[in-house]
Amino acid sequence: MVLERLRGWLTGLAKPEDQDSGGNGTALFKARYHSLRLLLAANNKALDTMAEMEEAALGRRVFGMAFVRSRCTAAGVSVFSMVRHLDALAPEKYDELFPVLEEIQRRIRGVLAVPEPVEEAPLVVPLADIDRHSADTVGSKMANLGEIGNAIGLRVPEGFTITSAAFDLLLTDSDLKPEIDSLIQTADHERPAEIFALSSRLQQLVVNAEVPARLADAVTAAYEDLARTVGGRPSVAMRSSAIGEDSPEASFAGQYRTELNVRPENLLEAYLQVAASKYTPQAMQYLLQRGLRDDQLAMCVGCVAMVDARCGGVAYTGNPGDPRDDRVIINAAPGMPKAVVDGEFAADQFVLSREDPSTIVDRRIASKTARLVLDPAEGLTREAVPESDRETPSLDDEEARRVAEAALEIERHFGLPQDVEWALDRDGQVVVLQSRPLQQFDRQPAVPKSAEAGEPLLAGGICVSPGAAAGPVIRVERDSDALRFPEGAVLVVSHPLPKWAALLPRAIAVVSAEGGIAGHLATVARESGVPAVFGASALEALEEGAEVTVDADGGAVYAGVVQSLLTRRTQRPPVMIGSPVHEILLAALQHIAPLHLLDPDDLGFRPSSCRTLHDITRFCHEKAVREMFDFGKNNHFPKHASKQLHHNVPMQWWVLDLEDGFKDEVTGKYVRLNQIACRPMLALWGGMVAVPWEGPPAMSGRGFASVLFEATANPALATPFRKPYAQQNYFMISKRFMNLQSRFGFHFAAVEAVIGDRDHENYLSFSLKGGAADLDRRSARVRFICEILADYGFSVAAREDHATARLAGLPGPAMEDKLEIVGYLIMHTRQLDMIMANPSAVAHYGTKIRADLDRLENRTQGADD
Amino acid sequence: MGIRVLLVDDEANFVETLSKRLALRRLEVVTAASADEALAILNREPIDVVVLDVRMPGIGGIEATRMIRKKHPAVEVILLTGHASLEASMEGMTMGAFDYLLKPVSIDELLFKIEDADRRRSLRQKEEAVPASTDTPGESE
Repeated sequence: MVLERLRGWLTGLAKPEDQDSGGNGTALFKARYHSLRLLLAANNKALDTMAEMEEAALGRRVFGMAFVRSRCTAAGVSVFSMVRHLDALAPEKYDELFPVLEEIQRRIRGVLAVPEPVEEAPLVVPLADIDRHSADTVGSKMANLGEIGNAIGLRVPEGFTITSAAFDLLLTDSDLKPEIDSLIQTADHERPAEIFALSSRLQQLVVNAEVPARLADAVTAAYEDLARTVGGRPSVAMRSSAIGEDSPEASFAGQYRTELNVRPENLLEAYLQVAASKYTPQAMQYLLQRGLRDDQLAMCVGCVAMVDARCGGVAYTGNPGDPRDDRVIINAAPGMPKAVVDGEFAADQFVLSREDPSTIVDRRIASKTARLVLDPAEGLTREAVPESDRETPSLDDEEARRVAEAALEIERHFGLPQDVEWALDRDGQVVVLQSRPLQQFDRQPAVPKSAEAGEPLLAGGICVSPGAAAGPVIRVERDSDALRFPEGAVLVVSHPLPKWAALLPRAIAVVSAEGGIAGHLATVARESGVPAVFGASALEALEEGAEVTVDADGGAVYAGVVQSLLTRRTQRPPVMIGSPVHEILLAALQHIAPLHLLDPDDLGFRPSSCRTLHDITRFCHEKAVREMFDFGKNNHFPKHASKQLHHNVPMQWWVLDLEDGFKDEVTGKYVRLNQIACRPMLALWGGMVAVPWEGPPAMSGRGFASVLFEATANPALATPFRKPYAQQNYFMISKRFMNLQSRFGFHFAAVEAVIGDRDHENYLSFSLKGGAADLDRRSARVRFICEILADYGFSVAAREDHATARLAGLPGPAMEDKLEIVGYLIMHTRQLDMIMANPSAVAHYGTKIRADLDRLENRTQGADD
Repeated sequence: MGIRVLLVDDEANFVETLSKRLALRRLEVVTAASADEALAILNREPIDVVVLDVRMPGIGGIEATRMIRKKHPAVEVILLTGHASLEASMEGMTMGAFDYLLKPVSIDELLFKIEDADRRRSLRQKEEAVPASTDTPGESE
């Protein structure tokens, strides 16, 4: 099938039999040369893509599944192009490559595939049927809540969860997945404005999706069950419960949306809103920065009867800023607990002893001027607290004790300190709304202040994420401010809204007027290693754009860059290594990057030995060059025959012009150097003849014996000239392109280069192998040359006595300089394997070669100036 | 005369921006919002290279590639898409697309691809008299 189609693609390309009709075969030659050019361009693109993937595999920069998928796709396309262009050069000869490529692609697809659920999960699961083992279908948050209600027996609201299967159905039913992937793939994740725009488009896609009838029916039926259980037409809270959220490793604090007090008729709209919050800017950044798979994260949504809270808040069974302090800390406010969770309202604080929760160790009663209550229509509304109640504690001692006991019971069950959101209903019962592992960190003592620091611009803040950093102040209050947020600035906000977490990858530090240690933004700042000071009221002291130093440990901000404080500069944790996305990249690379095909003369150098995309590129490149050469050699037109290079005398160099490598038509058997128009060849030649060769190094007796031994022991070496094209030194050229295959005795070298007007297409590759001594010394020679090449900016790879060096994308004059270096090395490193066992000789040649190359470089630089 | 390019994408903004930038680089650009529209244009206007999106309402880019290559074998097709899919890319290439490029793509890279595709197209026309320029148009400047 593939092959038939391909034959179609190739139709129209001049075929060998067209030679008769065409006269001198020029069109045929041009078509073949163009195929070779396209093959070489695809080869370069494939190698660049692989290099980019291997660089990413080092884990030093952040990337998501979109990167992995797009680079796998790009590498596959380039390699497919190569196979096809090779087929144009040698029709049907290498057909075997297609199934081999197909098989490698199949394996890569297998690595990238999102695992299908083993059995189809129900779309909706009642909370009564949920426990901690349900996390894969209902998400961690709802699994925890089910466990608390069903296994611990604490009071939780009645309700159900709309599962991961429902989310999958929602996306597949409207065929949204490819569209979402495509939008993520296309966006530039470096620019905040793009991230916010992308987030908005993705959320719109989900919000506007049609809820499949099957899902709508299941949700409606589950709601009717809930209504029967609690009576009436209860309004509900819809909470995000993503798979993997709230795990001890990744809090996902505040990444997703919660809709409170939703009327039953709006349940599906609210579901879509919460499901869409998978794509909030902060959530997408959070996944990306941690190497988590966005394509696997299903958004489950918990739907529970709304609790009409008299008061509510959060309880920590430990101190977020001091892991040694195990007292229970309760923050409480009148009305709905959201007032406390968001940190925008004043709240009372109670500290209770763990051993005896009836003892209230500390109590701070705030003046509470406002509270959040249920709006009779829908949602929440803010209302004033009557003057007389403002100073009244939100909880009495008995109630505080019951909240603390519930929280401690949850901690005992899960075995980790907890962060519990709770409410007291109108009957005074404690209702647990959600619980997750408490994020704790160990504050460090502040660095002693030095004279250099001067008086702080701002002091008395709370350290919510340790460390110190300096940068310009950028105040962010609105989304539009966020869009312009530059890399390396200090993020200054009045409210620590969770959405500002989207800026943490770019922010060097955070300062907020409000908020505390346990807030969402604080938690993500700690996980991201960004120093942060919250509760720093006097923000007006921070002038927009002014350089400041944030000393989070000291809770202060200083003017200018204070070096003595920056000793605590935080290192962002290297999150990619070992992350799921990183693992997938490594697995995919296994089928892409390793090179198994090294020696074209080896019997194993054939399609069936190709195990990776790199193998196929290597194979196609080698064969394409040979096919082109053989065609030039065997065609019947004298005009296109290869010419012997004549420079003072006829030389053992042959030149085949592919297109426009000669300045004018060359008749006869010789071509003179001044007739050559090929830029890379002239540069290489310049390097070859720049310094006269001193002749072979003086050999020790052992060196010579070794040559004799190798020559008789290795039949391939004993008959090194079995390939006709290897008998001489051959250039294939056009004006911009050169391919040289050369063999000096046992030394094989190949150089290929393009120098044209498109800088980014310029490249130079140099491969060498062989030598006449034993493998140890041959390998030593190759390493010796690689070291020199690396010093001159080549990227080199060596294995045994075979090495390749590459350079790409430099402007023409720089490419010419590098070609001179290669030309010099080809001439002057011949037979150096002989002396590789002799350290003083190695040092001598090392010094001489570097001195020559430096002279060469200076000469050309001088000429350029 | 410039290369005649037909740009097919259902995203109006993208088509508009890209066609302006390609026209600036001396290409003759015609646009279409769907594969149907593109096929109609191909029937009445000479086109050298088609730049096609993969995911479009109606006939998708892969199927459109197959149809164009069948009815207008002289025309080269480049797929340009945000759809990073190994399956789709292999299918598109097998259907005869000249290349499968992933958005975002730099204008230079796209331009060079169009030039390469056009040069291949002209070489396929079996004419001895290949255009006088010895290399791709971009390089003669």
